[in-house]
Amino acid sequence: MTRYRKQDPEITRRRFINAAMGTTATVGIVSLVGVLGTANPVFRLTRDKMPPVEGDILVHASASKEGEIIKVSELSEQLIRAWPMGKDKEGNNLIRKGDPNNVLALYRFPKGQIIAPTNLEATIDGEIVAYSDICTHAGCSVSDDDQTEGQMKCPCHSGQYDPKRGCKVVGGPPPRPLAQLPIKQDGDKLVVAGFFLENPYPFTESEWEARKEAVKAQLA
Amino acid sequence: MNQWLDERLHISRLNDKFLRKAFPVHHSFFLGEITLFSLIILIITGIVLALSYEPSNSLIVNSFDPGTADKPNLIPAAYHSALKMNAMPFGDMMRRVHHWTANIMVAAAVIHMMRIYFTGAFKKPREINWWIGMLLLIFAALTAVTGYILPYDNYAYNTVKVVYGIAASVPWVGSWLAQAAFAGNFPGDGIIPRIYGYHIMLLPGILLALTAAHMLLMIKQKHTQPQYAKRIAYKKIVGVPLLTQQTPIMLMLTLLFAGIIMLFSAFIPVHPVEFFGPPSTTPIENIKPDWYLLWVFGALAIIPSFEFHILGGIIGSEFVGAILLPTVVIGAMFAVPMLDRSKDNNYYAENPTNHPVRLAIGTSFMALLIIMSVAGYKPDLISANVLTTANANTVLWILMFVVPAATYFATIGIVRGIRALREADERESLSHSAAADD
Repeated sequence: MTRYRKQDPEITRRRFINAAMGTTATVGIVSLVGVLGTANPVFRLTRDKMPPVEGDILVHASASKEGEIIKVSELSEQLIRAWPMGKDKEGNNLIRKGDPNNVLALYRFPKGQIIAPTNLEATIDGEIVAYSDICTHAGCSVSDDDQTEGQMKCPCHSGQYDPKRGCKVVGGPPPRPLAQLPIKQDGDKLVVAGFFLENPYPFTESEWEARKEAVKAQLA
Repeated sequence: MNQWLDERLHISRLNDKFLRKAFPVHHSFFLGEITLFSLIILIITGIVLALSYEPSNSLIVNSFDPGTADKPNLIPAAYHSALKMNAMPFGDMMRRVHHWTANIMVAAAVIHMMRIYFTGAFKKPREINWWIGMLLLIFAALTAVTGYILPYDNYAYNTVKVVYGIAASVPWVGSWLAQAAFAGNFPGDGIIPRIYGYHIMLLPGILLALTAAHMLLMIKQKHTQPQYAKRIAYKKIVGVPLLTQQTPIMLMLTLLFAGIIMLFSAFIPVHPVEFFGPPSTTPIENIKPDWYLLWVFGALAIIPSFEFHILGGIIGSEFVGAILLPTVVIGAMFAVPMLDRSKDNNYYAENPTNHPVRLAIGTSFMALLIIMSVAGYKPDLISANVLTTANANTVLWILMFVVPAATYFATIGIVRGIRALREADERESLSHSAAADD
């Protein structure tokens, strides 16, 4: 008889290895979540990233005329892309193109052609109308439709909108109409009269309300 | 020297284990090799391109067209470096080789998978390698997409915008997901460094690891044997060894393949960054993804507009068309080995016509993807007056169901016809030989 009886180890080698692998996996996943947290940078709302704000002047967005103030006489049934231009803290002009989703579409149709569900009070004399130019589907810029006069088409996935009827979706996958921007006339200039009437891309309704509050708080 | 190495590294054991691996002699077995060679060419050309690429979307002055002092011509640094690359000797050529090889790699992988599917090579015991192959296909597509964002011209800008939009369309977690993946709200200051990291480090790493696993499993499990092997030596491995018989064939194939890619690259330009220009608000008419993603694009073009709100999450046409539908399609491809219930290991490549249902499902699946890709050309079909705006969706939706169904029944019909003819032939020759015996 030996003095020491051989005992089964308290945990088997296999159980130890399985437990060790489980622990490693857990720690790994937790640290991965930590890393993913830092992958998402903090958003700071600067003035060039603000959505169009009341009082902003509309300027050309096309590369050749960028920054020139849009005159009422230039508008037609052909789409004109515009940026809102506001003021920075020192009072200098600042084009709000820090967020590319701020690009706008401007149209002028003969009186009487623009009908509901367009908000006619937010147009100029029922003739000039402004929308967000960002397709509510995947965020591309929307163009004139080369097939149907007076309609808009998104080149990305064939979304179609009718700018005379509140930019409602008339074809393709977009889930919502383009958001209308209230505008008013000041001499020959076009001036933003308030926030978008609905939530523009990429905001959901609640996110849009929160963004409006944040903008008001910062400008106050 | 051989002995010196052998004493230290046991080359002879390596030789017995790996270098004597038998390769079946049939041209359809080269498809996987072509995919592998493409990956190697992609890594080499990718490294050369990375040496001159500037991964940043900060605006800098365009040295080719500086503008004026008070109104400088500012373009993203990544786009500027792509312009500079094109101006280098053979720089444009290098970009073209990289681009063409990427397209050919996906094509070779797809045809390779078709070979596996139609000959039943996915069956037990090779299910795992089918799944690894599927992952390779998915990650290859992701690598390609991140790759064509890197030049950061207007085309790339619109592409990444759509990719961001798709990521953001996932209900509940979408905006968090998109911001984490693309470094903040689109287009964040860090979007190009982020995508550069994915394209040159993360995704190639995954591709290489998966490729290694794919190869090792293939060596362990052996190739499926072609039918002739059954007649020559039943249940024995038939083929030529990697060293030295298969190696010269591989080298020849590599050189031929590289030559063809060079020829393509020399004469067929790809993605002219100068033409598209730097990112702008002007959309690009008829923008389309590469051919292997065209089916998703087509689905998005004909899906109707809708939006459901469920428990605070939004499920829209974008999520259904660009995430749910591809998940279903890819899931079906993943499920292929599970539909086969055979208990025995499959040694021999099967004749597709002996499995008419599998063959017909495969062809009708391909027909479906082709029709969906055709739907991606919806705007072009409309402007060519083949379809009208009013009827395009209806026609394409009907085609999406009718054409695959027709393909299914046509395939089964043709296979039955072939078999009936073959059997009639056999009966006839039997009766003749019987008559001769009398």
